[in-house]
Amino acid sequence: VDALEQYIRGGLERAGLPVEDFEVEIMRYIDQVYGPELQELLQADMHGIWPEHDLDPSRAPTS
Amino acid sequence: VSHPQDLPLREQAAQIASGGLDPQELLQATFERIEDRNPGVNAIVATFPDESRQMLAEAPRGPLYGVPVAVKDQFQIPFRAPQDGTSQPMGPAGESAIFRALRDAGAIVAAVTNMHYLGGGSTGVQSAYGPVGNPWNPMHVGGGSSGGSASAVGARMIGGSVGADGGGSIRLPAAYCGVTGIKPTFHVVPMQGNLHAYLLLDALGPFARDAADTRLLLEALASRPFPPGDASKLRVGIPAFMWDDVDPEVERACRAALDAAGWQTEDVKIEGQEFARIATVLRLALEGMPEFGYDHLATADAVTVALAKYAFLLPAVALVRADRVRSQIRRSLADLFGRVDILALPTVPAAAPAIENTNIELPSGPMPADKGNVRQTGWGNLAGVPGMNVPAGWTSAGLPIGLQLVGAWGEEARLLDAAEHIEQATSREFVEAVPPNYL
Repeated sequence: VDALEQYIRGGLERAGLPVEDFEVEIMRYIDQVYGPELQELLQADMHGIWPEHDLDPSRAPTS
Repeated sequence: VSHPQDLPLREQAAQIASGGLDPQELLQATFERIEDRNPGVNAIVATFPDESRQMLAEAPRGPLYGVPVAVKDQFQIPFRAPQDGTSQPMGPAGESAIFRALRDAGAIVAAVTNMHYLGGGSTGVQSAYGPVGNPWNPMHVGGGSSGGSASAVGARMIGGSVGADGGGSIRLPAAYCGVTGIKPTFHVVPMQGNLHAYLLLDALGPFARDAADTRLLLEALASRPFPPGDASKLRVGIPAFMWDDVDPEVERACRAALDAAGWQTEDVKIEGQEFARIATVLRLALEGMPEFGYDHLATADAVTVALAKYAFLLPAVALVRADRVRSQIRRSLADLFGRVDILALPTVPAAAPAIENTNIELPSGPMPADKGNVRQTGWGNLAGVPGMNVPAGWTSAGLPIGLQLVGAWGEEARLLDAAEHIEQATSREFVEAVPPNYL
C-alpha cells in the first residue's frame, strides 16, 4: 500500500464513503492523468495573482 | 435536394415562409429521417411526434416558424424530464428558457439528444443510452458532452440543435462531427431550466451546419440580433501554447484555413495558460459535487463513481488556486483583446478517437481525449468568453477537423462573421460536405 492508496482509503473512510479495490485503481489512473498538473498548481508561486472580488464571467474583469 | 433535412435551417424557414415547404411535411420527413439514420449514430434518445405536431399547430409566425430542432437531454421541456445522460429523471419536466425562446421563435422541439453521462466527458461514450457515434465514421465517438446534438446535425437528421458547454461541450463535439457550434458569452443564453445552471462555467448555444444557420438559431435562443459585419481584415492572435502537441494533420488543416482567410496574425501568450486545464477540471469536478448525491450515482458506471469519490479527496487550496488562475486568464485575455480581434487555435488536438479506445495519439504520445481536449477549450469557460468551432478539413482517415475562434466578451457577432469569412475563403467546402454514409 503506497502513499496514494493510504490517502484514498484513509480520506474516504474519514468521509464515511466505502471504497472498492477497483475504485482505488481507477483513482490511481485519474491521479496519473491529472495529478502532476495538480501538484504543479499547488506548488506554483501565486503571490500577487489575486482573485477577482466581483468575478462575473459575462463581462471583462474590472479589477 | 431530395429531402427537406438536406436544406439548411434558414432555407427550411424561408421555404416555409414563402409557402414552398409544408411544415407538417417537413416534420414528418424529419421523424422518418431520424428513424432511418439514428440507429447508426445513437444521437437522439427521444422524439415527440404528437407533442411536436401540437407545438406546430400553436406555433407563432416567428423567424423559425415550423423548423424542427433538437435539444440536449439537460434541459427542461414540457414533453420529458431531463435525464442528463442517465437512466432516470434528474429534474422535472417543464419549460426551460431555451424551450420558451425556441417556441416563441416558431421552432418545433422534435427530439432530445444523447449526451455524456452527467455532462462529465468530451467523448460521449458514457451514457445510459449507449455511446454517441460520429456521422463521419460511426465507430468513432461523436463527442461530448453535447455529442448527440452535434451528431444529429452532422448526420442531417435535423438542421439545428441546442447544447451546453461547461468545459468545451459544444465546441469539442462540433469539431468531431464537422458542424458549426458556438459557446456564447456566459449567460447570453438564459440558463433557467438547465440542469447545470449551478455551474459558473456553463453556457448554452446552438449547433448547425454553418455560421449563417448558427447565427439564426443563436438569435432565437438569446432573443436578440447578432447583426452580420465584415470580417475580412481581422487581427488574429495565435495562442502558440494551444498549437503545441497537436496532431500534425489537425495543425496543417487549421493553418490552411487561417491562411485562406488572409488575416493578419501574431503569436500571443495567455497568462496562466499552463494551469488552465487543471483549473477547469477542478471547477468542473467540484462545482457539481453538491448536486449529485450517492443516490444519483447508484446507477452510474464505475468510472463516474470513482471520479466522484476522487473529488472528495481534492484539497480545498487547489480550488482557491484555480480561481486565481481563472482571474489571471481573464485579465490576460482582456489585455490581449485590446491588441487582437479574435484568437484562433485547433478546437481539438486530434480528430475523434474510436469508441473502443478513446485515447488520442499526439506528438508527445497517447493521451486520454478528455485531457487533450480540455486544454483547448476550458480556458474559454473559465474566462466566460465566446468561442466557436468552424469546420476546417478532414484527416486522411476522413474524420472532421475543426478550427476554434475565440472572441472578447459579447463579441458573438464578430465570431460568426469570422466563421462566415472562413467558409467563403474555403469555398464552403467543409460546411457543404455530406458524410459518405449518407451520399
